[in-house]
Amino acid sequence: MKKFLLLVCFSGFISSELILEITQGTEDPFRVAIIKFNGDNKAASEIDQIIKNNLMRSGEFKIFDNDDLLSLPKDEDEIVFNDFRILNIDYLIIGNLINESSNIKAEYKVYDIRKGSKVRSSTVFGIPNKNRQLAHYISDGIYEEITGIKGIASTKILYVTQNKDYRLVVADADGKNEQILLESSEPIISPSWSPDSKKVAYVSFETGIAKVFIQDIASGNREVVIENSSQISSPAWSPDGKFLSLTMYQDGNAEIYILNLKNKNLTRLTNHYAIDTESTWSKKGSKIMFTSGRSGSPQLYEINLRKSNARPKRITFEGNYNAKGAYLPNNEGIVFVHRANTSFQIALKYFDENFIRPLTESQMDESPSISPNGNVIVYSIKEEGTGLLSGVTLSGAKFKLPAAEGSVREPAWSGFLR
Amino acid sequence: MFFLRNKLNFVVVLIFLSSCSSMNVTEENVGSDEVKTVKASSARSENINYDTMAVFANATVYFEFDKSSLTSKSIQTLKSAVNALNENSSINITLSGHADERGTREYNLALGQRRAEAVSDYFVLNGISKNRITVKSFGEEKPVAFGQDETSYSKNRRVEIN
Repeated sequence: MKKFLLLVCFSGFISSELILEITQGTEDPFRVAIIKFNGDNKAASEIDQIIKNNLMRSGEFKIFDNDDLLSLPKDEDEIVFNDFRILNIDYLIIGNLINESSNIKAEYKVYDIRKGSKVRSSTVFGIPNKNRQLAHYISDGIYEEITGIKGIASTKILYVTQNKDYRLVVADADGKNEQILLESSEPIISPSWSPDSKKVAYVSFETGIAKVFIQDIASGNREVVIENSSQISSPAWSPDGKFLSLTMYQDGNAEIYILNLKNKNLTRLTNHYAIDTESTWSKKGSKIMFTSGRSGSPQLYEINLRKSNARPKRITFEGNYNAKGAYLPNNEGIVFVHRANTSFQIALKYFDENFIRPLTESQMDESPSISPNGNVIVYSIKEEGTGLLSGVTLSGAKFKLPAAEGSVREPAWSGFLR
Repeated sequence: MFFLRNKLNFVVVLIFLSSCSSMNVTEENVGSDEVKTVKASSARSENINYDTMAVFANATVYFEFDKSSLTSKSIQTLKSAVNALNENSSINITLSGHADERGTREYNLALGQRRAEAVSDYFVLNGISKNRITVKSFGEEKPVAFGQDETSYSKNRRVEIN
């Protein structure tokens, strides 16, 4: 009985939350006033804080609190636009929380201060005990209205933690609301989302060797994708969700194959005595990028899937270590791990430029993953031997999602969920 | 980050032009984000072969960064392993390849495999049947030294023979 109690205490202790830390802002932010919503005070305060954090983390906003404002309109009739014009505010947001049996409904409005008019009127129907999710949906509506780009507050990040055991964890994009998908005493690596964000693929060593699994998030149902005795790793979904590219070791060497998930047919993509791994699909599914050691050091290569027997084309040339590439959402370029002198950094290369742009500057930066709207790159860093997640936004804001417990690594950003 | 900002502004301007003087009215439902936790039951039966353990205790060979070629010191170790394998024809061996933490995890998994294969190739060239050898890699996932320095790294770039 005593042992049982101890276990329960531990599991509560380990499920740590990640904390947000903005380390750098932007020069020309949108100036936005958000009045705390009317309705239940506790829920309104919680939702107000989450919305403000979400907008601030994007690095594109300066948020005005109740204390900073000359008037606090509760509804449209009370708005004095000049009170906001004096403060050079661009947008005003007001809203109501309405209790409907066990659910909360949020109604909010966005006003363009310069025009003096309402530009958005939205309703979000919540579900019980999910005020965080409700706040994320409101944040994304506001973000989209003001920037014209889809927001990512309601998306999720998948990652691996290692404390005593290994865990595959999914959390909100702000690092909160951690939920465990898989616990194992053996390593878990290379998590990746299905394009509809309902399933995940990953490599688990639970059978004694690396094996690729697919797991349904809601049901927990999972399967080994290829039942044989050889080592298989590095899964990546095709954009249509019908194929999984994989690294197979059956010939003793890492080669990339494409698995048809419906009929389980395998097509070999690479054939070289050097290492070929870390495959990833372009957003339209017409190209696969991968890491290969065929030049003598790890470099990124692309294969055009539309041409039959297309030969891999090398796409990185600076330095002696370029690996684990990811395509930007509009295929305008790639981000990848680049070795500069002795440190590993995240770098960006646009296809229409012939040089690379370093994005980070610590010692051991790895696993870049791009938000579905293309505005944020999340990656793993090491501080005093412990893995943390860090992010950099296109507007120049940098933030950290440090873990209170254990080492965090290999973040993978979901698609849009809203 | 100014270079990125330019691209962003361009998109924003386009959308603003197309949405001038209209009001957006939206209605949506918050989606469920239920998750089911799975516990992996590890097949902890690592088939420890005590005969092998006795013969090859501490048989480990080491490698240079991003390399899978055998050093002359490694070959000394492997020579005595070949002798032991020839004297004990009933035992099979597992070669587990490892890498240090620098570089990406999947590349390191493949690198660990190459190292284990290099040792396997040496055994096969020296008359050991391939049927007696199992090759696998743990990449950078199972370090034996935990510092972030060359001393630790050099201990982790290894193939364990057992």
